[in-house]
Amino acid sequence: MNELSDKLQTYLRGKLGEPALVVSGLARIPGGASRETYRFRARTGAHERGLILRRDPEASLIETERSAEYRAYEAFHALGLPVPAPVALELDPAPLERPFFIMEEIENCLTGSILSPDPYGVHRETIGQQFYGVLGKIASVDPRDVGLSDFEGETDIHDVAMHEVARWEKVIDEDEVEPQPIVRAALRWLKHNPPPPAQKIAVVHGDYRTGNFLFDETGKIRAILDWEMAHLGDPLEDLGWAIDPLWAGGNPDFPGGMIARAEAIRAWEKASGLKAEPAALRWWEIFASVKGAAIWISAAREYAQGRNIDPINAFSGWFCLAFHNKVLADRLGEAA
Amino acid sequence: MNPDVGTIIGLSVQKIASGVNEHGAAFAQGTVGLLSTVLTMAAKEYDRGADIRFAENADMRALFGAIAPAVGDAGLKAKLEAAAKSADANLRISTLNENNYALRRLLTEAMIFVEDHRLRDAERRIWAVLKDAAARRLVQLGP
Repeated sequence: MNELSDKLQTYLRGKLGEPALVVSGLARIPGGASRETYRFRARTGAHERGLILRRDPEASLIETERSAEYRAYEAFHALGLPVPAPVALELDPAPLERPFFIMEEIENCLTGSILSPDPYGVHRETIGQQFYGVLGKIASVDPRDVGLSDFEGETDIHDVAMHEVARWEKVIDEDEVEPQPIVRAALRWLKHNPPPPAQKIAVVHGDYRTGNFLFDETGKIRAILDWEMAHLGDPLEDLGWAIDPLWAGGNPDFPGGMIARAEAIRAWEKASGLKAEPAALRWWEIFASVKGAAIWISAAREYAQGRNIDPINAFSGWFCLAFHNKVLADRLGEAA
Repeated sequence: MNPDVGTIIGLSVQKIASGVNEHGAAFAQGTVGLLSTVLTMAAKEYDRGADIRFAENADMRALFGAIAPAVGDAGLKAKLEAAAKSADANLRISTLNENNYALRRLLTEAMIFVEDHRLRDAERRIWAVLKDAAARRLVQLGP
């Protein structure tokens, strides 16, 4: 750890033009299976601040584009949304052995557990309104206005849904360790029952959910994190993912462990200026469970092959995949 | 269930042996918590693993026997009938898994056929088996 700290200090002194900068307290923190995350302090004279280092791992759960993640932080922080301020992006692996980026640390905050039936307690109402409101604001942004129109993703409103289906079907095809009849049936259902065209093309966060934001003791959301799967797409993709029952101890009536489903949708519609038409949202909810299954299938493979033995991958391969299989079987089995 | 119990126990031990504390207290605390969770899941899987697979395989065989008469494709019908008469030679997880994967592959093939030919009764039977299987495999984290 000392060696990494020394290298980081050398890098930041040059990058920020602060030759007296001192790095201290570098420690890895949990979270983010696709990036190694470290907390540290950076002091120059009397000025000290907390920073976060996000470094590419040796093997990543999902191949993600770190420059896209960094640019998403830049764009939405500049708009005044609760997003940490980015500090530096380094694609050259030389300084720290692998590419990385650095952003401000949002201190003295909490995160909600996806396994808790009530992760926010007395703050569930206020956090819920903010959570779906911020997501609506993200949906309301035109990617061209924030310099993100070159992000990965489909830009034709008629093709965006099937583009995402193809993307995640490819992941399943490549990483499936055992036959998945429910997930395969769900993929066929998605293809045979396409949703209406997207109302617009927006920046989709890609993993907007309980567990991926920080809030303070007053219930104020301070930071939306983990933009590593950000892409262009239908904004309903994020809403479908955010209200997936996995994120709330399995209670679909209070998605994310916050406000009631109808209230959540209203808050999103108000902030986005868009409509969450029920049939379209249902399609994106089924899609969310398929996308989840694809991620958990990849996690299981990474772990089983010993490429990434973070226990979160074993947990994902068992708990999360079984959960989403159950959600899909219940939802599609009802329609059969 | 992938990864299998042996892999989880082996790699968890490796993680512990390599020193979960190498990156500092916060990371160690999170890692140990997760290791505890996955080892608890592995312990439960040890108890229920054979039963889940045995029941699922039996359900799929019964399903294949029930829907085979409605399947017009001679090749698929023969495969369904043969699978319906098959059996698990023993209760080792590896044996049950091998049979389970073959049965699940055939289930997907049958499902595509009944969807394409709109065999609604067979489709409903398939979903009933899948719903039961998904419920059986759901992982409960509590005691």
